[in-house]
Amino acid sequence: MKDIADQEVIDLEDMDIEAFNEFAAEQGWSDGMPLYVPTESKVAKFVETVRGDNRPYPPVPPRQVIPTIQALAANAVMAGCKPEYFPVVTTALRGVLDPDYNLHGTLATTHSCAPMVMVSGPIRHEIGINCGSNCFGQGWQANATIGRALGLMLLNVAGAKPGEMDRSTQGNPAKYTFCFGENEEENPWTPYHVQRGFAPTDSVVTVMSGEGPHNLNDHGSTTGSGLLTTFAGGMSNPGANTVYGKGPMFVIIGPEHAATLKRDGFTIDTIREELWKRSRVHLSRISPENLDTYATTGHKPDGDWLSIGRSPEDIHITVAGGPGKHSAFIPSFGGTTVASVRIAR
Amino acid sequence: MRIYNPSFGLSATSKEKIELKPVNWKTDAIALVSNSKPNARELLWGIRDKLSAHRQVENIKFLAKNSASQPAPKELLQDIAQNYRAALLALGD
Amino acid sequence: MIATETFKPLVLAQAKARKIEPRLIVVKHPVGGLNAEELRERIEAATKGLTEATKT
Repeated sequence: MKDIADQEVIDLEDMDIEAFNEFAAEQGWSDGMPLYVPTESKVAKFVETVRGDNRPYPPVPPRQVIPTIQALAANAVMAGCKPEYFPVVTTALRGVLDPDYNLHGTLATTHSCAPMVMVSGPIRHEIGINCGSNCFGQGWQANATIGRALGLMLLNVAGAKPGEMDRSTQGNPAKYTFCFGENEEENPWTPYHVQRGFAPTDSVVTVMSGEGPHNLNDHGSTTGSGLLTTFAGGMSNPGANTVYGKGPMFVIIGPEHAATLKRDGFTIDTIREELWKRSRVHLSRISPENLDTYATTGHKPDGDWLSIGRSPEDIHITVAGGPGKHSAFIPSFGGTTVASVRIAR
Repeated sequence: MRIYNPSFGLSATSKEKIELKPVNWKTDAIALVSNSKPNARELLWGIRDKLSAHRQVENIKFLAKNSASQPAPKELLQDIAQNYRAALLALGD
Repeated sequence: MIATETFKPLVLAQAKARKIEPRLIVVKHPVGGLNAEELRERIEAATKGLTEATKT
C-alpha cells in the first residue's frame, strides 16, 4: 500500500471539520489555524479558474518536487480562498519560483522573512483585495487567504516545515499571511506594475521575501523633504538584512504622505535618490566584527557610511493604505529579488 | 470522502541514490568550503591547522560562497568538482 | 559536511530531497557568535569527527 505522502487522491472515511483538522495536523499540513477540506469537487472548481495557464511548474525547492495543479488547489481550498482567488495564488507561486527570488534560501534561512504578495491592476477590485485602510491587516477574505494559501503551498509542496526545513529563529506573523493591493487610485505617480513595464490593464502579482512592514510615522512634517528625513531614518537600520547591501526593499507610501511628496515635486526616481543618500548607516552603529564580515563578502563602507541596498534602484516604491500620516518600510531577506508576474487570463 | 493531497508532487530528482566516490583523506586535495556565515571560515582554518599534524595541507584550500544567503555560484561548484577529491562544508550558524 | 546539532534536521531533510547520504560531522550549536576560545572546542570536536569519519 502506498504511503499517504505518495497518493495524489486520498480516500478518507467521512469526518467532521474538527476531525479533518486533527488528521491534517497529523500529516503536517497545517499552519495552526483551521483548514477547509480539499474535497475533489472543491478542488475541481479551483482548477477551472486557471485553465488559461498551461505553463508547467518547475521543481519547487527545497523539497524539489513538481507540483500538480490539484495539489496547489488543495492548499488554496484549505486556506479558505474563493475559486476566483486561485489565479492570484498560482501567479504568486510562479513569482517565488523565479530563480533570483532564491526560494530555497528564503525558506531555509534563520531570518524571519515571509513572502510578501502585492497585487496590482484590475483584479484587485474584481476579487475584493483591500488596497486602502488597514491594507496590511485583517478584515478582507482575499488578502487573508491568498497570502495564507501561498504559505501553505510553501509548507506542503516546498517542504518548509518549521523547525526542520524552515529554520527561522523567531519567525514573523507575516508568515501566516502577507498580501495587499496597491492603492493605484491614490498614487500620484505611476502604479508599480506599470513602473515595471506592464500595461495598466494588466493584473500583476509582485512578490518579495520580506520582513513585516515597519511603520514610518510622520504627522509633523509639512514638506516632502521632511517626510523623506523620517523615512530614511526608519530605513537606516543596522539590524535589517539590507545593511549587507545586497538586496531590495519596499517603501509603501501612505496616500497622504504621497500627496505631500508629489506637491513638492518629488518623483519616484528623486525619492529613491534621496532615500538612498539619507538612509546610509554610520559606521559608529556597526560592530567591528560585523564590519569585518561585510568586508569579506564584498560590502565595504564608503567613507564612514554603509549604504543599504546596492543602488537607488533597490528601493522599490509604491502607494497603499488609507487616510493618515503613516507609511511603511519593508526590508527584504537580502539575497533575493522582487519578482513581478502577470496573471494569465 | 475523497480529498486531494496538498503535499503531493512528482519527484524531480533521480530515483537512484547518489554514491560518493572513495577519498584518500591522507593525501587527496580537499576544498574547505565556507557558507560565509560568521565563524565558518575560522572553524575550517582551525581544522586545517589540526590536520597539519597528520598530513600535508598545501593541497587543502579554502573556498567560500560570496554570500551566506545565496546559492554557491556554478563556477565555485565547477572548481570544486574539477580540482578536489573531497569538500568539507561548514554550515556554521 | 560540518553542521551544528540544531541544524542537523535541515541537512538531513535537504539531503533526502536530493537523494544524497551526506557524511555528516555534528558539533554543538552555535558556531556563529563564539569568541576564539569558545570556538576552539568546536574545532577540536569537528577535527575529531573528521578523523573518525575518514578512518580507513
